[in-house]
Amino acid sequence: MAFALISVCFSQLSCQPRRADQQLTVASAGKISSLDPAQASTVNTIQLLSALGDPLYSLSEDGELEPRLAAASPEISADGTTVTIPLRTDVRFHDGSRFDAAAMAFSLRRFLRIGTLSYVVGDRIAAVEVAAPDRLRLRLSRPSTSLEGLLTSVNLTPVSPQAYRDHRDRFLTDRFVGTGPYRLSSFSEHQQRLEPFEAYWGEAPRNSGLDLITLSNSTALYGALRSGEVDVLLSASIDEDQRYALHRKAEAGQLHEAVGPAMEIGYITLLSNAMPLQDPRLRRALSLSLNRTELSARVSYGLRRPLRALVPPSLAGGGGPIWPAHDPMQARALLSSAGYCDGRLLQVPLTFRSNVPADKLLALTWQAQVKRDLSDCLVLELDGVESTTVYRQLGEGAFKAVMLDWRGTYPDPEAYLTPLLSCSNPSGEICLDGEAAISGSFWSTSGLQEALRSSDELRGAARHAELKRIERMSALGAAYIPVWLESPRAWGQTDLSVPEFDGSGHVRLNRLRRTR
Amino acid sequence: MGRARALLTYSATRLGLAPLMLWLIASLVFLLLRLAPGDPVDAVLGSRAPAAAKAAMRARLGLDQSLLQQYLDYLNGLLHGDLGQALINQEPVSTIIGRTLPASLELSSIALLVAAIVGLSVGFSGIARPEGKLDLAGRLYGLGTYALPPFWVAMLVQLLFAVSLGWLPVGGRFPPSLLPPEGSGFYLLDSIRQADWMALRGTIRHLLLPAGTLALLLSGTFTTALRLNLRRTLRSDYIESARSRGLMESRVVLRHGLPNALLPVLTIAGITVASLIGGALLIEVTFSWPGIALRLQEAINQRDYPVVQGIVVVIAALVVLVSVAVDLLVAALDPRIRY
Repeated sequence: MAFALISVCFSQLSCQPRRADQQLTVASAGKISSLDPAQASTVNTIQLLSALGDPLYSLSEDGELEPRLAAASPEISADGTTVTIPLRTDVRFHDGSRFDAAAMAFSLRRFLRIGTLSYVVGDRIAAVEVAAPDRLRLRLSRPSTSLEGLLTSVNLTPVSPQAYRDHRDRFLTDRFVGTGPYRLSSFSEHQQRLEPFEAYWGEAPRNSGLDLITLSNSTALYGALRSGEVDVLLSASIDEDQRYALHRKAEAGQLHEAVGPAMEIGYITLLSNAMPLQDPRLRRALSLSLNRTELSARVSYGLRRPLRALVPPSLAGGGGPIWPAHDPMQARALLSSAGYCDGRLLQVPLTFRSNVPADKLLALTWQAQVKRDLSDCLVLELDGVESTTVYRQLGEGAFKAVMLDWRGTYPDPEAYLTPLLSCSNPSGEICLDGEAAISGSFWSTSGLQEALRSSDELRGAARHAELKRIERMSALGAAYIPVWLESPRAWGQTDLSVPEFDGSGHVRLNRLRRTR
Repeated sequence: MGRARALLTYSATRLGLAPLMLWLIASLVFLLLRLAPGDPVDAVLGSRAPAAAKAAMRARLGLDQSLLQQYLDYLNGLLHGDLGQALINQEPVSTIIGRTLPASLELSSIALLVAAIVGLSVGFSGIARPEGKLDLAGRLYGLGTYALPPFWVAMLVQLLFAVSLGWLPVGGRFPPSLLPPEGSGFYLLDSIRQADWMALRGTIRHLLLPAGTLALLLSGTFTTALRLNLRRTLRSDYIESARSRGLMESRVVLRHGLPNALLPVLTIAGITVASLIGGALLIEVTFSWPGIALRLQEAINQRDYPVVQGIVVVIAALVVLVSVAVDLLVAALDPRIRY
């Protein structure tokens, strides 16, 4: 009662101060600890940096490579090991200094030296050279088709050498001086204020500024959009029920909804170098026991699309159902051939990240499917572990089966296959050292590493065919079970323009505007 | 030994023991963090970072040293008032605490004040007719609010007043469209001092739900404590003696009963304050209140050792200080207490 009275009083006495018409509030989950593109890894930070900086290239909604700070497509030498990138000459950093090849080289070298994600470049870039003030040259250690996708990465967005003079070899976490359509006017972990950059070279922002706020839980985010407290809500970390409720409201015309290209895959990693799942028949049986369509409907109301490949279909060379569909009969046959069923149960501990609600729902639903279809052969024992611990212990082979997700650092199949499959020290079907070990599967197979390397050197249809071959080998090995595909979503109030995504899955914040 | 001298000795002993308690707590936190699974270098660089980069960072952070050496460095830093830097963004831990502690203190103090006023009023209201309707209602209120799960109440209040009715903000500490007032970090005080009424309104609007929820949950403790103590006090011999001298009942209760009944409540308030500083986590998480408890949770998730250690030590220091202060206050107010 007291609450109600006080609330009424304050809601009447002190209405929310009216914002400037085109000053918009965008909400998402999770604080932003660092603004350094060399350190950025969370979806939130990448989204913010995509408004504050420009990459060399970006992907259009149709998946086409579009020059941004580059003036044209990259020029690739005949042997594929020299890439020359012509640069725009009309670009300035937020501190007024000029963007040129030296600035780009400074940023690239800095990323290669200290970038937390520098492993995605690996040993591909042997040298970064300034060919001319408006021409950047990359010397590659081997031809790399995926390099073009890599150049769209927000992590490679240039920073002002002048502003980062004292931060060549260390992160600058609370400031960002780039070339993007907005510049940062205030920063805290939970709120960032962006104002249009007057000297921006490209399309000027359609709003007069943005307040990006982070709220700590899904209910608060959902409520903030429902109550009109925020203008736009980005979908990261929204619970399934609330995501669906917002989707329904959008269908009813009460909100705008935009769906970006699906870039995040949900999958299950199976430990292939230890009992009992070192037997590929058992891994295949587990894969066949999974009814993805039912999982998608039960857990996400169909908003997450069933996935039977490691590479998202939206990427050139990706998609295509490669992993076998749900087939409990065949799963039973495989389990029987391995000596299970007929009174002998295969017990598989399935670990899920306890702080990810969708993981728990998926685990429970799969467990129920197995109980329904294969109760005399297989039982899943669920175990929730906090995600920090999961990632820490993954490479130690601590989990027989664990649910995870992955979003490629840049939009190319290589950004999905290499982190899961590459291996620097394979021994037969076991990976002793490398990404496959870090990913917790410890799986490799004959010819896989060569295929991974050649797929990055091929182009066009030949590359697509090689990528398909890699996926088929992976499906046969069944050390990973792709489950579903998640698309980023953004919801906006109806007095705003409909949010738009670029081809990399970032909301184009500069195109948001109030329409009435 | 005179009472004043005894009080002084007692105070010195309590304050003298405080550093020992803090050392024990700091040591325990240091050890527990290192026993917990999860690598802070992985949290900063990611598990896929090159081994050389990981090793370099490990060396830079001193994590390649022996545990004993790390411990000695940590204690040395503490002794010099250096709580270290956050691993994730190299921000000094003292800056993080300086930013988040005022938010928690502001929330806690307002909640405690409201809880005390409401709780004591409800507890006192039934005293005229023990076992009457008001007394029964007070008892139910005390038990009910004490037993309610904090996260459930918080979400319910949030859904009702912020989402459904839209009267108050869902979360956060300040309207995103305004810039917070500069100063001490206590937005209420800062906005009053700067006569920034827009900021003051924004602050109050954001404070109402979290502080109100916390106050509601705490008030039952006050209600129950006062009710029980007052009833016991009013059955004491000296109260009977006062009544037999023909004093009015209201005077007996207010002058002779209430002050004595309030002394144990003061102790409870002290304990509540102490636990509130670090214990309002569920409220801070639900209402996205950027306080020290929320920051502590984030730091634990990120395995940010220096931040966790720093926050726990500061919270422990506050708890020790508050409990010593309450002890001394009670001792000073109650002549029956001997040392």
